[in-house]
Amino acid sequence: MSDQIDRTVLPIRRPPFAGVADKTLGGSEPDWGLIGHVKPPAGAPNVLLVLIDDAGFGNPGTFGGPVATPNYDRMAAQGLRYNRFHVTAMCSPTRAALLTGRNHHAVGMGGIPEFSGAFPGYSAMLPRDAAPFPKVLQANGYSTAGIGKWHLTPEGEQGPAGPFTHWPNAWGFDYYWGFLAPEAGQYDTMIAENQKFIGVQEGQDGKPFYFPEAMTDQAIDWIHGVRGHDPQKPWFLYYSTGCSHAPHHVAREWSEKYKGQFDQGWDRLREETFERQKKLGVVPADAVLTPRNAEMPAWDSLSENSKRLFAHQMEVYAGYSENADHHVGRLLDAVEEMGELDNTVIIWIWGDNGASLEGTPTGTFNEGTMVNGLPLTDEEQMQLALKWGGLEAWGTEMMYPHYSTAWAWAGNTPFQWGKQVASHLGGTRNPLVIRWPARITDDGALRSQFTHVTDIGPTILEIAGIPQPTLVDGVEQQPMTGVTFTDSLADPGASEHHTQQYFENFGNRAMYKDGWWLSMRMPRTPWRLDPELLKRFAPGVWNPDDDPVELYYLPDDFSQANDLSASNPEKVRELQALFWEEAEKYNIKPLLAGFSPFFGILPPLGTQTTTTYHGNVQNVAPGCVPRIYNHSYTISADLHIPDGGAEGVIVADANHLGGFALFIQDGKLKHTYAFLGVFQYQQESAGEVPAGDVNVQMTFAADEAKPATPGEVTLYVNGEQVGSGRLEHTVPFGFSGYSGLDVGQDNGLVVDRGYADKAPFAFTGTVKKVVFDVAPHLDGKDELALHAHAQQAHTARGINA
Amino acid sequence: MSDTEFDVVIAAYLIPDLARKDFDGLVKLVADKQLQVEGVALVANDADGHVTITETGDHLGRKGLEIGGGVGLVVGLLAPPLLASVVVGGAAGALIGKFARHRVESGLEEKMGAALPPGSAGIVAIYDRSKADKVDAMLASAVRKSVAHVDGGGAKKLKAALAEAQAGMGG
Repeated sequence: MSDQIDRTVLPIRRPPFAGVADKTLGGSEPDWGLIGHVKPPAGAPNVLLVLIDDAGFGNPGTFGGPVATPNYDRMAAQGLRYNRFHVTAMCSPTRAALLTGRNHHAVGMGGIPEFSGAFPGYSAMLPRDAAPFPKVLQANGYSTAGIGKWHLTPEGEQGPAGPFTHWPNAWGFDYYWGFLAPEAGQYDTMIAENQKFIGVQEGQDGKPFYFPEAMTDQAIDWIHGVRGHDPQKPWFLYYSTGCSHAPHHVAREWSEKYKGQFDQGWDRLREETFERQKKLGVVPADAVLTPRNAEMPAWDSLSENSKRLFAHQMEVYAGYSENADHHVGRLLDAVEEMGELDNTVIIWIWGDNGASLEGTPTGTFNEGTMVNGLPLTDEEQMQLALKWGGLEAWGTEMMYPHYSTAWAWAGNTPFQWGKQVASHLGGTRNPLVIRWPARITDDGALRSQFTHVTDIGPTILEIAGIPQPTLVDGVEQQPMTGVTFTDSLADPGASEHHTQQYFENFGNRAMYKDGWWLSMRMPRTPWRLDPELLKRFAPGVWNPDDDPVELYYLPDDFSQANDLSASNPEKVRELQALFWEEAEKYNIKPLLAGFSPFFGILPPLGTQTTTTYHGNVQNVAPGCVPRIYNHSYTISADLHIPDGGAEGVIVADANHLGGFALFIQDGKLKHTYAFLGVFQYQQESAGEVPAGDVNVQMTFAADEAKPATPGEVTLYVNGEQVGSGRLEHTVPFGFSGYSGLDVGQDNGLVVDRGYADKAPFAFTGTVKKVVFDVAPHLDGKDELALHAHAQQAHTARGINA
Repeated sequence: MSDTEFDVVIAAYLIPDLARKDFDGLVKLVADKQLQVEGVALVANDADGHVTITETGDHLGRKGLEIGGGVGLVVGLLAPPLLASVVVGGAAGALIGKFARHRVESGLEEKMGAALPPGSAGIVAIYDRSKADKVDAMLASAVRKSVAHVDGGGAKKLKAALAEAQAGMGG
């Protein structure tokens, strides 16, 4: 250590009083050291950690992909590219591993925060013995901020009642601004700032709000503020984009740059990317391009319509991704203008997992259809795309688009598979660029040491001269499982320190040791998750050791093209056994704990049936909205209608691609139910709502106790029936992954486009109280079955994030 | 009035040049005398939401229905207010071309705009019902099609059928 402070125990103890305190000031000697703050070790640099979402090894141009990434190129040219860097194959697990420096199961994030499982590796509850490294930096005198996507807070805790122990501030960030959800619309992002949702924000300078731009402005403002306050204090900024996760939202000017560039299709794109990767040297000359899986269609087999639609899907994705690079570039420019670029370690990871296969082979106009288990044919997808604005709207707020599975596969060139598939490099190997001229001398060079996302924290701490703490807040710490690779910054021949690593994600698993990689892929198509399909993996049915295995020797086989399992049975058995040892050590067991709702292992049935919102409660996060799905329910609102009438939204949840709104328009009480952008149902009162104190109600009487049940809607004013109608289809799991519930107005994208021109269509009377009363089904078995369905759906949504 | 029974089809396309391809195919069928149409039009809604009739097939001739002031049955049905100002007085052949290059400010825009989002295209055709299979096969790249039977002759019935076909494009 470079100073005398014991930094292994946090918070750092204040130094003992070194002055003298006599009875009076006379004879006393001050110790001004008491008023100081903990300072990092001398020379500790700023750190900018950039994480792009849902992208593959073969996406950015810097690694041979089709997406122009001039800023990533710039950083790589002035720094290093790492071409054997690995993540966990899924969002939250990677983020937890990144920020804690520990294996994801070891910190409870074997699954996702949308479903907290009842096993230590899957609780989604960060344990206190695994202090994240931002907290370590903070406690050692760094200013810290997290800007952008979070996705590490259990869904049920995302409200004003907290608790806040899993919100970003508690992970060690002085300041947080972004979204907690697994994904978010880029035009109507529901923003959280520190420990409060502040909702959808306005755009600047007359332009519409756009999250990538706004988050960059926030990041720049933050570093400007820190430096204005303290000219010396180093900062750590975690800049985590929502891009390039669905919805693929970007202005046309960005997607138009790629017009026609994907008409050759995904098969040819992979070949082109592979060729560029070899020229760049990020893929060895002797590497082999792996073939297409049978689950993905050959480009040449598609109809002309499909080819054109799919090509446009990729144009939008590419434009969206380039836009992310552009905004990181703005941030880099700001750091450079401050004169701090060379004193800032820039670590830029392109993808928290491989590119996402979850768009299904057709791609989708609304990812919510897939999340809710609504299968749509190619033809239906096209019809619905047409309904919501055609190709011109793919990328706008009118849709929630995700491209075809096979584009993701192409984005993961040269590997097999992609996101969720932890058994293969398509899900787990992502680009990494590091710039730090203080240590790196061979600018533009390549590093090929095996590295892992858990190594980032230990490396940053070593660069800062800060030890890993053994005790934090009185709690003995798990050692970080990642290892520093700082020596590789200066030394291209530095030996590999990360010689062994397990991978596991919802049953897909791998064991790496000394160059050998054993793939153990569950025979499950990643974009299919339904109870029937999962029966074969039920307790007592599935023996994971019977799963097919593939064995690769990565030093000779960069892309996992040559399966050596048949000729090396002993190595297979050795790595299988090693995986189980790791499983024991890091709480991976029981496998599929994150899928436990599919096998009848459920959290206790909730007892709350009534939720009351007094006044205009806004921005209720999706996980905290009353769960009306698959049940009969009543929404009752006490209003005051002034003389002359009122209009506006009484209560609304989510938007036109899934949601409901109860509102008054043209004097009438109206209810709109948006079924995932596929159907929309509307009911209204026959007459006008009277002035004065009024109670209005909407009741939904479910036909059956089953998911997606149809049912009857009835509207009441002061207890008298005033209208009715039918919902032929209802949303079985959730309207939206990010959009919230609002009382008294409809924030962000609205549910009923009929009042979009008046958005947020604030109620002009007074909403005194809104009460949701969700009726339990009379049959306990039915209730339990729906409870199981809800938990399954939580899991389904989470793994798409 | 002919005894032939007619259908009206509205076909919507995500990709405008695939609409053009199908339109050309339909026109070729007529030119090859494998199909007779009472009217066919290629309609585009550009990126800014301007609906235009890109081309009509009225030069191919019609056989039975009399409506539209000599300007083409589909055009005549869909855009009567504009026709009234542009086409009245005859000289139809020349004016149709002129008309096709103009933004349609009423009639077609109202009726087709909802079915065709900006950046898409559509085909409207009125044809002999006995050839429905051929027309359907030719409009292969349409993302959505809606067909209505013309219940009897006369402009009123045709418009009713067209309205029915348009209604089928909703939802």
